[in-house]
This record gives sequence, structure tokens and C-alpha cells, in this order.
Amino acid sequence: MHNIHVNGEDILKRQLELAESNRKQLNDNQVTAVSVMGAIGSGKTSLIERMIDRLTEQGLTVGTVAGDSAGDDDHQRFLSRGATSINLNTQDDCHLDAHRVNHAMGHLHIEGLDVLFIENVGNLICPADFPLGTAKEMVVISTTEGDDMVRKHPKIFAQTDILVLNKMDLADAVGVDPERIMADYARINPHGQALQTDARHDIGMDELMEALGFGCTNTQ
Amino acid sequence: MHEYSVAAELINALLPQAEKIEGKITGVILKKGELRILSDYALVSAFQMLAEGTLFEHAKLVIEQIPVSVSCPSCGYEGYVDHVSDDAFHFIAVPVLTCPRCNSEVDLQTGRELVVDSLTVETSTGTNAD
Repeated sequence: MHNIHVNGEDILKRQLELAESNRKQLNDNQVTAVSVMGAIGSGKTSLIERMIDRLTEQGLTVGTVAGDSAGDDDHQRFLSRGATSINLNTQDDCHLDAHRVNHAMGHLHIEGLDVLFIENVGNLICPADFPLGTAKEMVVISTTEGDDMVRKHPKIFAQTDILVLNKMDLADAVGVDPERIMADYARINPHGQALQTDARHDIGMDELMEALGFGCTNTQ
Repeated sequence: MHEYSVAAELINALLPQAEKIEGKITGVILKKGELRILSDYALVSAFQMLAEGTLFEHAKLVIEQIPVSVSCPSCGYEGYVDHVSDDAFHFIAVPVLTCPRCNSEVDLQTGRELVVDSLTVETSTGTNAD
């Protein structure tokens, strides 16, 4: 019995290369891309809608990739907001990957865009393993999921730099203490930025825009 | 749940090398970065099922962890990070991406890998086939 060392290439190397190629394509076209991950029903789509409104007001062109396992509800919402959108159904896969996103970017004609939002499938586990090549990443959770969400999915929060806690208007109604979530996040990601929003009532959106590098006048 | 596709990629990537090996492959040693969110249990079961009928059908997948290591641009620290592990986090060791010496932001050096390290081979003569 003996061990033979093999060519130690990363199994997911292809994924990383594709993500890098997306990153380069986005940079070359001066598109600021944001990957939006998060729990099912946490408000990812509503937050993006609010940001589309603000960015459009600034005179910027916004594109979206609406990732879902099935259906085109989010895609339709983005279209009605005036974004250039593409619907990306993963057919039961639990996450987007750089390859699929690259195809979506091709269909979107990103050369005409200033900002691109990529909304991942609602899931707090798999998307963290598949970088898409965006400049920014954020994870969205909401108060209605309970105040133990960071504790239950520590690995995604430990490596994502922006946490958005949405549905702040419902925290009291569901008996959730937002400070517990904030404290958990600060412990495992001391350099991360945690924000509190209420997308439905358009609260906390200016802070989120700033965290993502979208100023009030220009994205550059 | 992407362990099946990872196991399939693993077997496909290894098959060309396996075909050149004389002897029975009894083990595949995979090194996995601590930040990877992949279930060892699901990976091993997927590997067993997908390996049937291939050169890996007698191989056991062994997963070894590569810890997170970082370098600090502020103070020059190079090494491992601290972990949070208490009842709040159900005693799962969560690596904290900050410099353990000066608390500055760090650059990740290791912790996101998924690399096959070696294959264990049983030969009839017991000699090394390298």
C-alpha cells in the first residue's frame, strides 16, 4: 500500500477561472456588479427594486440577473422598474455559478450598463462556495427569520462583507432582537458592515447605497 | 447541495491519471479548505455512488481539512486565525477573518481549496509503482 501524489489542481478551479473572467469583462466595461445572496423571502428583490429606483434617478443604466430555481416573478418586477433584466432559472439547482452568469451577461449586453445586480437563489449555504466575479457581495436576511440566523449559517456570514438585516419594521411584531444578530455578526466578521433596512417603507436604503459604493451623485 | 457535482468533477478529473496506475486504487485523499461549505458526509456518499463501475469503485474518499491562514498587510503577521467557538455558535469553530495580532483586515492565503492530494494504491507485489 502506498500513496501516489497526483496533480493537485483545484476541483473547482474552472469555477474560479470563470469568475475571474466575469470580473475582467465587468471591469473592462466599467460595470459595477453586486452579488445579492440571502434567505428565501428575506427581501432581496425589494432591496434591488429600491436601488434600481435610486440609480435610475442618478441617470445610470441598471441591469439585473434574476436567479431563481423556477418562475419569472422577480424578473418581471425588475422589468417593470425599468431595468434591463434576464431571468435565470437554475432548474432546481440551489445556487448560481459563474458559467451561467457569464451566459446571462452575454444576453444582457453589459457594455450598455453602469450597474449589474445578480440576485442569487434564496439559500444561505451553497452560493458562498461559488464566486460570480462581482465587485461586491451582500447577504440579506430579515427579522422574521428569527434572531439566530447568523448562528445557524456562520460560514457564509464569516466571509461576506455586507450583511443586510431587512424588515426592521416587523422586528417587534415577531419578537426579534436585531442587536443579537448584529453582535453575532460582529464577532465572526469584525471587518464586515452590517446594515438595517426596511425595503418596503424605503428605510435604510441610503446607507446601503453608500456601503455598496453608490454615492448620491455618481457611481464612479 | 452541490456535493454530487463536485464528486463527479473529482472522478472525471482523476480518471486519466488513474488509468496509468498499476494496482487497485483504495483511497483518494482530498484536501478541503475550512471555508468551503461542503458536507463531508454528502461528498463521501456521492463519491461512493458515482465511483461504482469506475477505477475508483474500491476507493474510499478521505477528506482532510486545510485551515484558514492569512497574511496581514498592516503588521506582517502570517499564519492561522482565531476561531469563535462557544454555545452561541453551537461549538462549531468559525474562523474569524481578522489579524490575530493587530486586528486589521487580512488577505486570505489558504482556506478555500478543494484539491486532491494523493491516491492510495494497493499493488500485488507491495512495491512502489511510482
